[in-house]
Amino acid sequence: MKLLPKLLGVLVAAFIAAPLFIVVPMSFSTAPSLEFPPPGYWLGYYAAYFTDERWTQPTINSLIIAFGTMALTMLLVTPATFAVVRHRFFGRGLANLMLTMPMAMPHIVLAIGYYSYLGDLRLTQTHLGVIIAHTALSVPVAFLILSANLKGFDRNLERAAMSLGATPLRTFWHVTLPVLRPGFAISALFAFIQSFDETVVAIFISGRESETLPRKMFESIRMQADPVISVVSTLLFAAVALVILAPVVWKAVRKRPNRDCARGGTPAAKDAAPQDVNPCAPSRVQLEA
Amino acid sequence: MSEDVEKAADGGACALPRRSVLKLAAGAAGVMAMPAIISSARAAEVLYVNTWGGSWEKAASKHLFEPFTKETGVEIRTVSPVSFAKLAAQVRSGVYEFDVTTLGGGDIVRANAAKIIEPVTGSPLASGLWKNAVFENGVSSHAFSTLIAYRKDRLTNGGPQNWADFWNRKDFPGARSLQRYGARVLPLALMADGVPKEKLYPLDTDRAFRALDRIKPDLRVWWTQGQQSQQLLRDGEVDMIGIWHGRALELIDQGHPIGISWNQAQIDRAYWVVSKNTPRREIAWKFIQSAVQPERLAGFCREALYGPLNPSAFDFIPKEEADRMPTGPQNYPLAVEQNVEDFGDNLQKVTQRFEQWIAT
Amino acid sequence: MLSVLNRGAAAPGALKPWLLLLPLVLFLCAFFLVPLGQVALMSVTEPEFGLGNYAHLTSDSLYLQVFINTFLTALGVALCCLLLGYPLAYLMAQSSPRVAALLMLLVTMSFWTSFLVRTYAWMVLLGNNGPITAALAFLGWNPPPHLLFTRLSSTLAMVHILIPYMVMSLYSVMKRIDPALLRAAESLGARPWSVFRQVYLPLSAPGMVNGATLVFMICLGFYVTPVLLGSPQEQMVAGLIGTQIEEFLDFGQASAMAMVLLASTMIVLTVYHRRFGLDRLWG
Repeated sequence: MKLLPKLLGVLVAAFIAAPLFIVVPMSFSTAPSLEFPPPGYWLGYYAAYFTDERWTQPTINSLIIAFGTMALTMLLVTPATFAVVRHRFFGRGLANLMLTMPMAMPHIVLAIGYYSYLGDLRLTQTHLGVIIAHTALSVPVAFLILSANLKGFDRNLERAAMSLGATPLRTFWHVTLPVLRPGFAISALFAFIQSFDETVVAIFISGRESETLPRKMFESIRMQADPVISVVSTLLFAAVALVILAPVVWKAVRKRPNRDCARGGTPAAKDAAPQDVNPCAPSRVQLEA
Repeated sequence: MSEDVEKAADGGACALPRRSVLKLAAGAAGVMAMPAIISSARAAEVLYVNTWGGSWEKAASKHLFEPFTKETGVEIRTVSPVSFAKLAAQVRSGVYEFDVTTLGGGDIVRANAAKIIEPVTGSPLASGLWKNAVFENGVSSHAFSTLIAYRKDRLTNGGPQNWADFWNRKDFPGARSLQRYGARVLPLALMADGVPKEKLYPLDTDRAFRALDRIKPDLRVWWTQGQQSQQLLRDGEVDMIGIWHGRALELIDQGHPIGISWNQAQIDRAYWVVSKNTPRREIAWKFIQSAVQPERLAGFCREALYGPLNPSAFDFIPKEEADRMPTGPQNYPLAVEQNVEDFGDNLQKVTQRFEQWIAT
Repeated sequence: MLSVLNRGAAAPGALKPWLLLLPLVLFLCAFFLVPLGQVALMSVTEPEFGLGNYAHLTSDSLYLQVFINTFLTALGVALCCLLLGYPLAYLMAQSSPRVAALLMLLVTMSFWTSFLVRTYAWMVLLGNNGPITAALAFLGWNPPPHLLFTRLSSTLAMVHILIPYMVMSLYSVMKRIDPALLRAAESLGARPWSVFRQVYLPLSAPGMVNGATLVFMICLGFYVTPVLLGSPQEQMVAGLIGTQIEEFLDFGQASAMAMVLLASTMIVLTVYHRRFGLDRLWG
């Protein structure tokens, strides 16, 4: 009786894994189109990806936009999170709602809005326009992660530092910031990925000059299922695997007990970080896709 | 990009700074500064041309873009895919993704009515073209046809030879695809329904939609881009397709088991147009003027297998090659010409209705 | 500024938190609320002032059909995710920490992989020259069916893309179920099936509701996968909105549909919020 559900579970795991791994052999395939198993193997499409400006330029654009989004998001979200978590004030609930609202929006709705609004501002087809749109979409994720970290922060640490004569500035710089660093890092990482993966809004507002990688992939799949897509897919998948596995491996090397999932951070920070925040859990709703 | 190419592109002298710029960009530190660098690297005059990609773009690059760049120093950058809405949107927003594009007969009527293309009157091209070169403010370039192509490995009984066969689900079972373009699909439906080609126009739209209803279950995909139509047929996602002749011939030349029929091939014309109010309109007209020059147009048409609409271009085309063109002496009598002037219904309305019909 | 950050709670008055919030609130007003408002505005002003676009939505059977199709698809995807996600989450909850961690790693990896990548992978899998078609042909289905550009292909891909949400929601609830409860039930003579049905299933229900709500909501607004993999006759709302803009530049009609889509999403959220509280959904 217990075997059947478990067997089903294994099957589902295979269902999840298969599509992820199939892009890897595809990327080495010689087939000019969709064909599996590959008729032969070579690195030609990798060469094509790295030398074709029509692929490298969107990649660079996506990086610029994701870094820009990350910086702008953190700049805006950090003070706001301190305000919401550490203060009780009139309108706090409203602020909370506003900061998480972009999360619940179907992206297609915002895409129309940005298409027409940023068009009026002459910001479509610019990096800045996409950064602005992506920042609005990244705010909720960054805010939720950072506020969860901040809630778990032991304020006695700050009080101790202050009572020992540290100025508020030194306290923030030497106590608050180091302890919250993993929270910041994860928050920033999420903002980065949110932007790097965002497709729908980018399809509508990132034009010729600021075309992002997801938009290029989307157009490419729609036009002709270009085999270079499998190269990009493999590279993206490898990047994800690297980001997720690196901390796990690192932890294993340091002989610390395995956690459910990867979390970058210093050991000291781990005690300060709240237990209920698992960065890989669906602590986010993105009505994108 | 390899270093040689770069050097060639930059003319040697400024190759070094650009290369170091590219290296810098590879580092995360330089990433933020890229937009400024890119725009300065592209300071030279540039014209953005909207293309159909694939073999179309290859032929255009060789015969139309490169000679133009050599002659004028204007760099041509291409933008895909072709989109009527983008043409309209960029006029509305004032941010231009491309300056020049080609439109088919149906779209050019729509575009001219919506005033989203530059008038030819007042342009340098107003005089000096051949007779009837200009239609609805577009400059005629080449003819292409939509014909029937099918997988010989799936349809072993000879395949559909006319649109009535294409509509015959019993004798020719299998998945089908047509272009998502009402103005081109409706006449096909009428021919399939038995309307003789000289009586097609003005179109009986209601009858066309009724005919379309009959094969709807088999129309699995509506293609929008030339390369997509090739992929569908090459991968066998569909068994028969209404496809542009050049795309089908290319697949046959590559050795795929594809059969075609020139019978009832539907000829449409492509016109060069300039996006309304683009800041680069003067270069745009200059480009179009050079693109319809007989010798260049002939080169383009020979490679991409189109029928040149500039009559002088035939001086540069060997007779046997003309046979593979839709306007060639062998194929033209079999073909049906699009007649957008006497279409029979408002094109915008037909397009709307067609999209709705697809979705339901 | 920094002293404000730190001394916050002790500070009197409501001005300081608002000062800290000001940049972000201004930003969101300018670049979130205004564009959103513009969509609402366009829905009643383009091409002319009035409710014409909404009237059109109700009078034309196309829109009704697309909305119904979208809801049914979202419902189906949520159901499939639940049926498939449940055994996997159960397996994770019952396995040793090591196996559970490994499975969680897989789910996480899938979750993080761009859905364009996953959509493309399904194109490969279901394509005419793909392994699944080949397998069907091998099993004697000749000629093998076309799988791409059907309801099946887009549904499968969407289930695959959204199942991590479901598994994570379920697992976070299941791992908190006290095994002692199950043992107690067993020791009282309940058979395994009734232990599962009467004890485990009700205890894991919150995870099911969370996961299903998330999946349903995300699926309602799905654009990329149905557009790339789906059948043209079974469009979803987001795809139709895209067509309205890309083909016709009909901002008014597209905006009206977007507003209805937005309202549907908000209704789901509100119902959830009334019953369970939104905090739980965000996890």
